[in-house]
Amino acid sequence: MFETISNFVAAFLTLSIFSFLYKDNPFYKFAEALLVGVSMGYAIPLVYENVFMPYVYTPIFLNHKFIIILPALLGMLYMFRFSKNLGWLSRYPIVFGMAIIGMSIPMSLHSSVLVQMRSAMLPIDNINTALIFIGTVTILLYFFFSKAHKGVYGKVTNVGIWFMMIGFGASFGYTVMARVSLLIGRIQFLLGDWLGLIK
Amino acid sequence: MNKNKNVIKLFDRMQNIDRRYIYIVVALSIIIPLLIPFNSRTYVTKPTEDIYKKIDSFAGDETKAILMSFTHDASTMPELFPMEVSVLRHCFERNIKVFTICWLPAAAPLVDYALNTAKEDFDVQSGVDYCNFGYKPYVLRLPIMLGMGDDISKAVETDSQGRKVENLEIMKNIKNYDDMNLVVDFAGSSSAITWITYARARFGANIAAGVTAVMVADNYPYLQTGQLMGIFRGLKGAAEYEKLVDVFAAYESEDYPNGRPFSKEIIKETRVPITGDTVPYKYKKARIGMNAQSIAHIMMIFFILLGNIGYFITRKKEL
Amino acid sequence: MKRQIPLIIIITLGFMFVAHSFIPHKISTDFFDWYQDWVKAVSPFAVSLGIMSLFMVHGTKIKRKISNWQYSVITLAGLVFTAFAGFMWGTQSGTPYMWLFENVQMPMSATMFALLAFYIASAAYKAFRARSAEATVLLIAAIIVMLGQVPLGAMISKWIPESSTWILNVPNLAAKRAIMIGVGLGMTATSLKILLGIERTYLGGGD
Repeated sequence: MFETISNFVAAFLTLSIFSFLYKDNPFYKFAEALLVGVSMGYAIPLVYENVFMPYVYTPIFLNHKFIIILPALLGMLYMFRFSKNLGWLSRYPIVFGMAIIGMSIPMSLHSSVLVQMRSAMLPIDNINTALIFIGTVTILLYFFFSKAHKGVYGKVTNVGIWFMMIGFGASFGYTVMARVSLLIGRIQFLLGDWLGLIK
Repeated sequence: MNKNKNVIKLFDRMQNIDRRYIYIVVALSIIIPLLIPFNSRTYVTKPTEDIYKKIDSFAGDETKAILMSFTHDASTMPELFPMEVSVLRHCFERNIKVFTICWLPAAAPLVDYALNTAKEDFDVQSGVDYCNFGYKPYVLRLPIMLGMGDDISKAVETDSQGRKVENLEIMKNIKNYDDMNLVVDFAGSSSAITWITYARARFGANIAAGVTAVMVADNYPYLQTGQLMGIFRGLKGAAEYEKLVDVFAAYESEDYPNGRPFSKEIIKETRVPITGDTVPYKYKKARIGMNAQSIAHIMMIFFILLGNIGYFITRKKEL
Repeated sequence: MKRQIPLIIIITLGFMFVAHSFIPHKISTDFFDWYQDWVKAVSPFAVSLGIMSLFMVHGTKIKRKISNWQYSVITLAGLVFTAFAGFMWGTQSGTPYMWLFENVQMPMSATMFALLAFYIASAAYKAFRARSAEATVLLIAAIIVMLGQVPLGAMISKWIPESSTWILNVPNLAAKRAIMIGVGLGMTATSLKILLGIERTYLGGGD
């Protein structure tokens, strides 16, 4: 009985969101507002239990690692973010958290640029490696140089456009697949979990 | 002449058809194949096969483990959840140590849900056969990801039940990425790239990605370089893994009481029926979904072609 | 000073991290361990930003009775009640808190994205046109990839999944790689700009 009621609530809210397909209406607005509130409210106890307790409370109060009081105070400065006069205090926890991007400079240069460039310059031993090389170079030419796309240069960069179009086509095909999959998931819920028509 | 005019008129009208009629067709193209399931063949592709083989190579090895990283909320669950359940089922079937971690508050119950769905058919114990590190905030992703390269227990500290990770039995022989040698990141974003950038580039961890179909095409460069050792490609990837687990990991016979090793020939020849009760619904959800996916794609292509025919006919009229 | 000191902190710590990437010395690992402990203790307070911002936006709507303010009451009530349920009855499976997640948050959040399937079908019919040679190529690639992913595609012809795989492995790979190199260089440049104090928008307005 309890499960039936639970499924009914979930199905009602699912259909409320779907009702937007017909037109904007109070059911959709209600569901949307509730979703925002519940999502945020849901995070609070979870952060308290899984983050505040092990990383702040336990080290300070149980392990007596009092130095942790300092970063905890630093974290509290976040709360001044919306203050007109003391908003600048929130910059301290922000920059402290962001500093780790120092590592991203050598690391992302390595994985997204150097390794990719190395693989783009493999020995051309078949038509596919040749096409990958041509495609990569022509697209880079298209994006990176401010020279007008005219004459021979224009023709070369045009090859890049064709490669990009095929790439975007592949992305579009997969996007269709993704959106349909999500809808399948919801319909599986409505027909299966709620109405019991799929087993 | 009149006939031509009528055709143009028809297409003109069809061009301006109310979008809600299209919505009805979309809904029906999914509802009907779900209500009337049929057996269709699942072709297993190399990116999925590679993940299966890698995970399977850890079977029964006390010194190896995999980490499943959940970086998504419920919005992408239909695509990612069947992958997660299948990987967990594979690990439980083949006695492979598995860790789970998540980075979004809304992902925490999804990890529990996946674990509970998979473990109910197995005699597995938290802290011994598997361990859920639980929710860690996204801002700690980099420090924890990097910290696990040196010492997992120190980086993660506690599991989802608040236990000290270092005291758990599962941590015996597991220290860092040398042992927890495969990370599979499940996400609807390019989150696997962070693992590639840090855990792989710095510590040489093997990284695989379970992504929603939207992100598949973007990940191909990493697949070619080997930075990603495999990839689950949306619902199709999930369906492929479901089949692999059915055919190999869950296989039982006198010769193979706990599953059999992967073989290209066997997977090519074997068809697993998804109608009937041979396979529980929770382990074939993605394959059932793929039936609807087939019909929906045909419908979508039909829409594109119809729209274009209409466009060319009406354009001809304008000229 | 209100800007300079944070900038000095990020520049100093940032460059220490750059060094940490290359130097596996004990000082470097000790620095990283220290940072790990501290950043973990800072992190739980970040959630307060989201809560405060939500209360400010919806509180203002309610106070000023802006149109549809009633829905803001629902948002705030949902927030307060869910958080209260978590603290009051715990966050384990079977509690009212988890019930709210499973039957309210989860189905709605999944459905929001499912709506897009309808919109993309409508767009495919009404806007996806072969207006030029480039658009035609895009359209054909999309159709082959769509067919190549489903069992029906392979049933029609073996050629379809093979072509789809080729599209992904060759032209798509070249396109995405070139874009990725650009993005990678851009990311590195942005990170450098932050570390050098050139990019400061993340500090917010004011002095």
